[in-house]
Amino acid sequence: MAEKNMKKRRKSTVGTATKKMFLGGAMTEEQEEVLTPIQMVFRSFIQDKVAMAGVIGFVFIFLCCIIIPFFMPVDMYFQDVTQANVAPGFGMLEVPKSLQGNAKQISIGSTFSVGIDEEGNVYEWGSFPTDKLKKLPADMGKLTQVSAGLNHIVALTEDGEVVTWGNDRMGLGSIPMELRMGANVKEVYAGYQISLALTEDGELYNWGNTYLIDLRFPEGVQGNIEEFAANTDIVMVRTKDGKVAALTGKTNAYTTIPEEIQGHVVDIAVSDESAVAVTDDGKIHTWGNNIKGTQNFPEEIQGQVASIEGGRFHYVAVLKDGSLVSWGDDTFGQTKVPQVDGEIRQLTSGYYGNYIITESGDVESWGLDGYLMGTDDFGRDIFRRLLKGGRMTMTVGAIAVIISTIIGVVIGGISGYKGGKIDNLLMRLTEIVNSMPFLPFAIILSAIIGNKISETQRIIMIMVILGLLSWTGLARLVRGSVLAEREQEFVTAAKALGVKEAGIIFRHILPNVITVIIVNATLSFATCMLTESSLSFIGFGVSEPNATWGNMLNGARSATVIEQYWWRWVYPAVILAISVISINCIGDGLRDAVDPKSKER
Amino acid sequence: MHKGKFLVKRLIYIVFVFFIISILMFGIYKSLPGDPVRMMMGDNVKPEVWQQQYDTIKESLGLDKPIPVQYVRWMGNMLRGDFGYSTEYRRPVKEVIGVPMRNTVTLNLVSMFIVFIIAVPLGIAQAVKKNGVFDKIVQVVTIVGYSVPSFVIALLAIYVFAIRFPIFPISGVKTAGFTGTGMEAFLDSAKHMVLPVLVLSVGGIGSIARYVRASMIEALRMDYIKTARAKGLKEKVVIYVHAFRNALIPIVTVTTVWLISLFGGSIVIESIFLWDGLGKMMITGLNQRDFSVVLAMQMFYVILSLAGNVLMDIAYTLVDPRVRLED
Repeated sequence: MAEKNMKKRRKSTVGTATKKMFLGGAMTEEQEEVLTPIQMVFRSFIQDKVAMAGVIGFVFIFLCCIIIPFFMPVDMYFQDVTQANVAPGFGMLEVPKSLQGNAKQISIGSTFSVGIDEEGNVYEWGSFPTDKLKKLPADMGKLTQVSAGLNHIVALTEDGEVVTWGNDRMGLGSIPMELRMGANVKEVYAGYQISLALTEDGELYNWGNTYLIDLRFPEGVQGNIEEFAANTDIVMVRTKDGKVAALTGKTNAYTTIPEEIQGHVVDIAVSDESAVAVTDDGKIHTWGNNIKGTQNFPEEIQGQVASIEGGRFHYVAVLKDGSLVSWGDDTFGQTKVPQVDGEIRQLTSGYYGNYIITESGDVESWGLDGYLMGTDDFGRDIFRRLLKGGRMTMTVGAIAVIISTIIGVVIGGISGYKGGKIDNLLMRLTEIVNSMPFLPFAIILSAIIGNKISETQRIIMIMVILGLLSWTGLARLVRGSVLAEREQEFVTAAKALGVKEAGIIFRHILPNVITVIIVNATLSFATCMLTESSLSFIGFGVSEPNATWGNMLNGARSATVIEQYWWRWVYPAVILAISVISINCIGDGLRDAVDPKSKER
Repeated sequence: MHKGKFLVKRLIYIVFVFFIISILMFGIYKSLPGDPVRMMMGDNVKPEVWQQQYDTIKESLGLDKPIPVQYVRWMGNMLRGDFGYSTEYRRPVKEVIGVPMRNTVTLNLVSMFIVFIIAVPLGIAQAVKKNGVFDKIVQVVTIVGYSVPSFVIALLAIYVFAIRFPIFPISGVKTAGFTGTGMEAFLDSAKHMVLPVLVLSVGGIGSIARYVRASMIEALRMDYIKTARAKGLKEKVVIYVHAFRNALIPIVTVTTVWLISLFGGSIVIESIFLWDGLGKMMITGLNQRDFSVVLAMQMFYVILSLAGNVLMDIAYTLVDPRVRLED
């Protein structure tokens, strides 16, 4: 902000006569080449290496922000705790080579996966939320089943013993006594701060954070459980007689189980806020809330479904002919099922990824492989928000500049051309606006108006505030230039020819001051982007869930974030800095090109 | 026109501008959410006397008078330093504003000092060897310096100097529970000031150095420099006495504008480093809906800005004999 004001201030103090010399002088010098002033400016601009680097940098960022979101859609309201603070990088679905060809079972956790081979050895891969996951318990022997959760793993050994590692807080480390006494465990499950184990006699045991998921067994369910499915809110079970029950004492989306399927269910699965059951006639029944299309299954598969698996926002069904069908959210390609030849031995879906193990023990995977720039504390993909944020930051900056340029040109133009009392009045107005301390006024206006209006109105308000407070410098510059131009012969000639006043201003004078306007607009675009970012950074600009580069940094103000989750501030900071530097380079280059005298410097 | 007359004219004009801005501020004051009368009354008023008491307080606050009268009363209070009552601190604003104001002024003056002792020699050195390797490198560095937003530099500084190499404290004005006096206390607060000052200085050095460079180059092209050199004066004298004195004119203007924006910009920095200054107070005031404090802060920034304008006029008149007074 300071820099912009300085430039303007200086130019206006050096005086209009000097400026006339700059512009006028340049044109006469090059007359032999017969170039229009614009061509000349263009020619000397493209020879300026720094400015061209700026152009390339800015155009690259601009195009990325405009084009990539079409291929990588992002839901601004989307949040997922299970994906919070994931480090940048890929390879979440990269199955270790030694597991290929002899995989026995695989389980997918929040951002990592765990698998066992035919010999019962454990393999872990992906991005680990805690280092404890890498500390496998000593001498646990061969494993027969593993399950990965948010940040812990539960496994079943050959001897029927339950072991767990990874996060051991919230009681996740304390396996219930009955299980340790040698209950006949059939299946184990690790979820969101909860672990489950199902015995052969249909008893379901749970341990972990019991406040988060409070299991309530309806009558006749405990001791009769055949299969269970769980997500972050609920555990659903299928009993041995084909009935479905939600293990909760409350009434919610999961408890609206259709009556007609009770007694016929052969498989169940849950995703976020919805559940699916497959009945013995191969049909699918869903209930709950339809989020991200989790209930929009293709009608033609009805009657052919064999089994089903669910992720956070998608389902994968295995049909009776062995082929796979998937529906729901496809943000990370979770529903892009591959063509499989041969029998599928096991299908695992969970969170945002899927694995299949074929008859030969080979593993194929699809879905979320990782985040290019990691995720923030709400589990939102930083890369996608960065692109959206770039769009927003640039839009706000551009519109603010357009507003301020229009006001500046109109006021400066009228003031310079009319002169006298009008000039005096308008210049006093300019000085009043100029005397307002910019950032404090912007903050207070945004705070007072901002809380009464909607998100979109708030964004518009930011643009208008920026525009209304930053036109003064340009108005002075334009006034100075117009003052110089209006005494030129061509204006007198136009007047003598009877050209109307508006015509003289816009057709004859304005083209001669357009270069000044363009240079100024470029530089104030950078300033407006900076101001918007500063405002959003301290929480008085564009607010969540809309992203801008400034408010993405807002979440990164604590020392913990700066130290441990560096990707949350480094990427927005770097891209914001590069953009502003590029625009300032372009602006400086343009000014040098327009004003040959400054190039000599 | 005589210079003295010019200054008087400018002063009268500044008062006029202040008047206009104060009307704007009054507008902001009136549009603030919340009823001041209810705030004064509290909750323990019996329903039967409620309306009567409400009217009494309204009258005592002068809120029953027409808007212009209210404005005059409000303005009078403001000028007497009566900024109202802070709902957060439960004390008059006047009493809570002292320490933060001192902190903010210290922070900004130290930053200004640092900026000047670095930026001015840097700009002169660039101008003397313009388009040389040194000049080119510094030019790139300065463009980065003033383009990168201050809060980004702040995050970077925290990462490098407070987390990676924990040399300086991350936040605050002094160590909590610190009881030392004299030299110890000074060193303690100096240590806390390093990072905010560093951050505030980077942007300032960037823009002021560019400015000094430009106006020095301008000055060095003048004929009187050729004359001075022809006279056989030492190059140092030519640069520092003849050229720099003339280059000062635009620098003075620029500095004032920059200083005003420095105070404004320190709002962001103060809130990052939890520097107990006016900016942080304004942000907390807005978040806590303690609007009396906010308005007082706003008044401070307005007066600062206007004072800056007056100073600029005076400096301008004093430094530049050719100043066009009719403007």
